[in-house]
Amino acid sequence: MWFNTRSWSRVTQEIPDGPIRQYVVDDKPDPATPLTQARLLAVDVETTGMDPKKDQILSIGFVPVNGTQIDLSGAGQVLVRAGVEVGDSASIHGITDDAIADALTPSEALDVVFGALRGRVMICHHAAMETGFIGNACNAVHGFRPRLSVVDTLALQFRLLSQGFDEEPPPGSLRLWTARSQFGLPRYAAHNALTDALACAELYLAQTAEFQAATTKPLTLKSVLKY
Amino acid sequence: MDVELREIRDFLASHPPYSALPDDELDELPARMHLRYFRRGTTIVELNKPNSSLFILRSGAVDIYRDGRDLVERADPGNTFGTSSVLSHMPSRYRIVAIEDSLVLVLPGDVFSQLVRTHPEFADYFNTGTSGTMKRAVAQLENDTSGRIILKTRVGDIVRREPITAPPTITIRQAARVMTEHRVSALLITEGDHICGIVTDRDLRSKVVAAEVSREQPITTIMTADPMTIGSNALAVEAMLEMLSINIHHLPVVDDDKLLGLVSSGDLMRLETANPVFLVGDIAKQSSSEGLATVTARLPQLVAQLVEQDASADEIHRLVTAVSDATTHRLLQLAEAELGAPPVPYEWLVLGSQGRYEHGLGSDQDHVLLLDDAATAEHDGYFAGLAEYVTAGMESCGYPRCVGQVMAVNPRWRQTLKSWEADFHRWMLEPAAEAVLHAQIFFDFRSVHGGTARADQLRETVRSLAPRSPRFLGHLAAEAVERQPPIGFFRGFVVERGGGPQAGLDLKSSVHCIVELVRVLSLANGIPAVNTVERLHAVAAAGAMSAETESAILDAFELITYLRLRHQARQVAAGESPTNAVSPDALSALEKKHLRDVFGIIRRAQQALAYRYQTHLMS
Repeated sequence: MWFNTRSWSRVTQEIPDGPIRQYVVDDKPDPATPLTQARLLAVDVETTGMDPKKDQILSIGFVPVNGTQIDLSGAGQVLVRAGVEVGDSASIHGITDDAIADALTPSEALDVVFGALRGRVMICHHAAMETGFIGNACNAVHGFRPRLSVVDTLALQFRLLSQGFDEEPPPGSLRLWTARSQFGLPRYAAHNALTDALACAELYLAQTAEFQAATTKPLTLKSVLKY
Repeated sequence: MDVELREIRDFLASHPPYSALPDDELDELPARMHLRYFRRGTTIVELNKPNSSLFILRSGAVDIYRDGRDLVERADPGNTFGTSSVLSHMPSRYRIVAIEDSLVLVLPGDVFSQLVRTHPEFADYFNTGTSGTMKRAVAQLENDTSGRIILKTRVGDIVRREPITAPPTITIRQAARVMTEHRVSALLITEGDHICGIVTDRDLRSKVVAAEVSREQPITTIMTADPMTIGSNALAVEAMLEMLSINIHHLPVVDDDKLLGLVSSGDLMRLETANPVFLVGDIAKQSSSEGLATVTARLPQLVAQLVEQDASADEIHRLVTAVSDATTHRLLQLAEAELGAPPVPYEWLVLGSQGRYEHGLGSDQDHVLLLDDAATAEHDGYFAGLAEYVTAGMESCGYPRCVGQVMAVNPRWRQTLKSWEADFHRWMLEPAAEAVLHAQIFFDFRSVHGGTARADQLRETVRSLAPRSPRFLGHLAAEAVERQPPIGFFRGFVVERGGGPQAGLDLKSSVHCIVELVRVLSLANGIPAVNTVERLHAVAAAGAMSAETESAILDAFELITYLRLRHQARQVAAGESPTNAVSPDALSALEKKHLRDVFGIIRRAQQALAYRYQTHLMS
């Protein structure tokens, strides 16, 4: 969990004009919005490691979700020039130092992502990774961490699996690809930020359909929001 | 920005009709789509509601009901649905329901329309039911139906691979290595496209090994310079004569000084053994059923080769039937030689698929004896012996005995013309459903030995009587619509109407759907033909069927019979016995799609027949 160290009024005055400022000054999506009308953006980051303090973002993939529909025309992926050697993690993501050389600076990459995020709630699987890394990157570039509205599909999966049971879900059952297989979602061969964002968006649709089937009341954003 | 929805692009690229799109269109397509998720039990397209999008199933399973009631298809991942309402701009005639949790790609109607306008191959896929699509499907399966006999085959058709060539600068050792690597018996020496020499195994053996020429010498020292060549348009038989005349075994194929390949005497030999005319000729030369069995044992291989050479199913059936007929005929000659001349004249009638010229691999024997009216009970001993000789001989030649005992060894089916006419009269004029059902194959009779005078007379009886026997035709029609084609394919299984999923598609059953349908129409119109294709032509010529339906059924029949022959040829190649059940996994996505169309064609024709004969009123 992170905290803002400076007052919001000062922050909003200091943020340069651009997508990040726009995101911060816009009203947050209303938690009372029905899920069928909610606007969200599934986001996945690929990084050099697991620690937001030490490791850096290599790429960010995202795909918009409009209500119950994934809008593939809005899908995007940015490669980020991290300024460090890619090292061992290249074998996981297939992102090599060469590819990174053509990538965006962290500031440019954040502008692209926040541009896509405008008016939307973020969906991630295990959101601490995305919020931690994106927050840190913002902090490094602009000296502050924007408040992010997030839906965490890992938390949703936990809720689905522990419904009606006292015990915890079995270990491993919450991982993205295991969770997807419970809904018969397709396997993906590649492992990159955009594919994972898409995978996360598909899982979100499956999970919310499952929640909605259990109740006659139309579900709202509030029922799935994490922060 | 690097937007690459590769997973979805590759998914589309591996399923027709998207696989027919060019790469750049495929690259762009995912970004023009949406993804939606439907929980099991939810409706994707509602009956009688407008629908403006196509759906491509990404994961899960979907059922499609016509008028909301009849299951017409169960969609697998990769299947497209929602097409008809988009194409017709009418409310959906189908209810489409997710039966499992399903992820669905949504292709907006306007994007679809644009793809249809700009890509004809893509558009073709959606022209279901029109015979044009089926024609192209069949044409894809059979490229060339003319080239298989040495007298007809062009040299260009035998050249299977790029020629193996080398420049004149290489040494003998290098040339030998190239030939070993590529496992060829001849190497062509070329400068550019121009051929300047040829080296064969024989050259290496005789000129190098025997004459002790150094292997480091240039290849030009032993090659045959400026060899004899042949044009690709020459007939195979000309190539063979050419080789024989100067005792060589290889001929480079050259058009306008451009080298195309090489034919060897081996290529020509293979062509010859694959020639069914030779097989039939060999059958006539055999003097025992053991000898015949060795010849008919070559038949499966022959069929495999014909399938490979893209002969049509109709042609292959006729050739297989020609071999069956020749075997029957020869066995009867041998039987007569052993048992003595027949006491009265007789005709040997073949029935069922052999009668229709549609014998395939593993088909059983169906035959009866048609005796001259002078035959009496005391002659039956001779004909019993004759029948046993032939039936046992056919069995040893690989034709199983008929399980229904419709064979001349059964005394019931050895009788005079008069008795046969009585049987046919009874079947047609006082029909009982059960009896008609069993008698069906008798109506596909054909004489293969002993002349045709009596068979012709019998046929005339059937021809004149059948059209005036509505109750008989009604029973046949009821039987013909009883056998329903499957609905389609789902997850490697065949979906049968009102039944569980089947592991294999029974191709024989689908073939018989058409055979029975056409038989009724043919008998109803007094048509003497027995072959299904000929019957179809005659039925249409008599005005009893539209040209469009005729064409659709012809194509459907060709497709299923072809797939059956190919399936059996593959089994033979794998050392298995031929069967009629093909696994859906052995069919390509496009073949499955065409088969679904075929099932639809059969269903529509059955519905028309059921309507015409009011089969639901038959008891």
